[in-house]
Amino acid sequence: MLERVISFDPAAYSLETIQRAAYRYIDKFSIGFNVKEASIDCILQFDKEVDDLDGVIQDFRKEVLDQHLRARIAKETESIRHLILAHAFSRTGLV
Amino acid sequence: MSKFLPPESFAATGAYDLLPFNFTRLEGDSYLATNMVGESLIVDRSTLDDLVNKRLAPSHPSYTDARAKHLIAEKGDKASAELLALKTRTRYQRLQNFTNLHMFVTTLRCDHSCQYCQVSRQSEDKGAFDMTLEMADKSLDMVFRSPSKAVKIEFQGGEPLLNFDLIRYIVSKAKVRAAAEGRDLEIVIATTLSLATTEILEYCRDNHILLSVSLDGPSDLHNKNRPRPGKDSYQRFVANLQAAREIVGYDRVSALMTTTLASLPRVREIVDEYVGLGFEGIFLRALSPYGFAVKTRVYAAYDTEQWLKFYKDGLQYIIELNQAGIPFREYYTTLILQKMFTCADPGFVDLMNPAGIGIAAVVFNYDGSVYASDESRMLAEMKDQTFRLGSVLENTYEEIFLNEKLLSTLEESFTLSAPMCSECAFEPFCGADPVFSHAVYGDVVGRKPASDFCKRNMAIFRHLIQLMREDREVEALFRRWSALC
Ligand code: SF4
Repeated sequence: MLERVISFDPAAYSLETIQRAAYRYIDKFSIGFNVKEASIDCILQFDKEVDDLDGVIQDFRKEVLDQHLRARIAKETESIRHLILAHAFSRTGLV
Repeated sequence: MSKFLPPESFAATGAYDLLPFNFTRLEGDSYLATNMVGESLIVDRSTLDDLVNKRLAPSHPSYTDARAKHLIAEKGDKASAELLALKTRTRYQRLQNFTNLHMFVTTLRCDHSCQYCQVSRQSEDKGAFDMTLEMADKSLDMVFRSPSKAVKIEFQGGEPLLNFDLIRYIVSKAKVRAAAEGRDLEIVIATTLSLATTEILEYCRDNHILLSVSLDGPSDLHNKNRPRPGKDSYQRFVANLQAAREIVGYDRVSALMTTTLASLPRVREIVDEYVGLGFEGIFLRALSPYGFAVKTRVYAAYDTEQWLKFYKDGLQYIIELNQAGIPFREYYTTLILQKMFTCADPGFVDLMNPAGIGIAAVVFNYDGSVYASDESRMLAEMKDQTFRLGSVLENTYEEIFLNEKLLSTLEESFTLSAPMCSECAFEPFCGADPVFSHAVYGDVVGRKPASDFCKRNMAIFRHLIQLMREDREVEALFRRWSALC
């Protein structure tokens, strides 16, 4: 099994952000974490069918950036999102 | 003082709040951003960054779009959030009506022996495979408990025409009850047409019954997919189609196809067959992972990639036909386009959230069992009773529709909370398909990155967006399709 370790700066990215990004690669690698003060190390173990390891890692890094941005949107819009959904479902009897 | 505010009052100020939206990378540097009702914007990465970090200047070309599509709202603007709530409500409007499609499996008997068919039986044994009058009555009681003003009854099989007396019985009773309760009633029979007689067709005409018929392609392909004694399935189909159109009405007959391995290299011929027979469109469907299709390995005969190639080739050909002046549509594409371009939900069971099972459709089986969807009863034929909600003979309406399995499945598979779906920009176009996930992966949510359902839909969404970005004519054509149904 091919293994690679990549690191992220915990000051810039939360563990949750990285975990969310990793979920999308569930069919390509399994992941373990080593959380230290200065870095979050991700131990990636690739499935044997994956041949373009570098391509997948590059993609994963972009996905972490995207997740970071998503978390920002989610945090800022959480209350309005709930308000809209409550309004939308208010007459259905489901909420 | 003027009655109107000066134009400057409506100018963008540049100070804005974010509204809830998701984004997904398309290709290269492009991102698709969609709000909760599917209004969308395509931007590059740096614009997306600026948008989220509130650095997007009002003079930027995407600023006005982001406002108009309700991805952002200027400070103090309350109307945007209210409008978005209203559109969201429109999108989920269907839920108020609860179940409106009621499928009656009047018999499992069939004169065909299709290799991919999940359920049918080659049997003369009416006692074992036909719905009884008592079950029909009890099922009708359930139908008329639905809060929906519009009630749709669809007869399925087997070949439902083999138990036509029961169809007559149900239709006459349903009509009386619908009239008494002031409900709109729509009746459909799903049939191969092979056993349609003049008498049956006249009955359908007199009772405003729609026919949903099966056509898999040119003669040799259709006969190969749909064997019956006499090997004349196609010939019977063509002859009876003509009679059905003459008697019941040209536009009262629609067709459905099934894609088998033998269909894959022949999508253009299949489309030609539909065009030649005067149909206005085709539904390029993938095989479902249930029943005999799995048992006989027909389902495993091709994978998602192969089906996607078939679909894309077919869609390309249909676009070419339209460009050559032959109006023709692909229906799955049309359903998705409706979700992309309008706030209305077309209510297609596979593309609904919450999932359509039990809510959009329910099946009354020949033996009195009630299933949450057509797929659920097919699963049951493989001895998996997970989505059996109960029996009309033993259970009440409340016991059936407040079934714990149904409610927990709806909740668990809700795409706004499912991992990956909840942050996917395609979510407003997609749906939850818990029965598929259960059948293939053993849990109702499934792991989306490895799911064929996700792979297939995501590939289609990406493809449609790409086609529209590459060619404005295609976009105009797609907009027309979405406005048609
Ligand atoms: S199934 Fe896939 S494409 Fe559909 S919403 Fe979920 S993640 Fe997106």
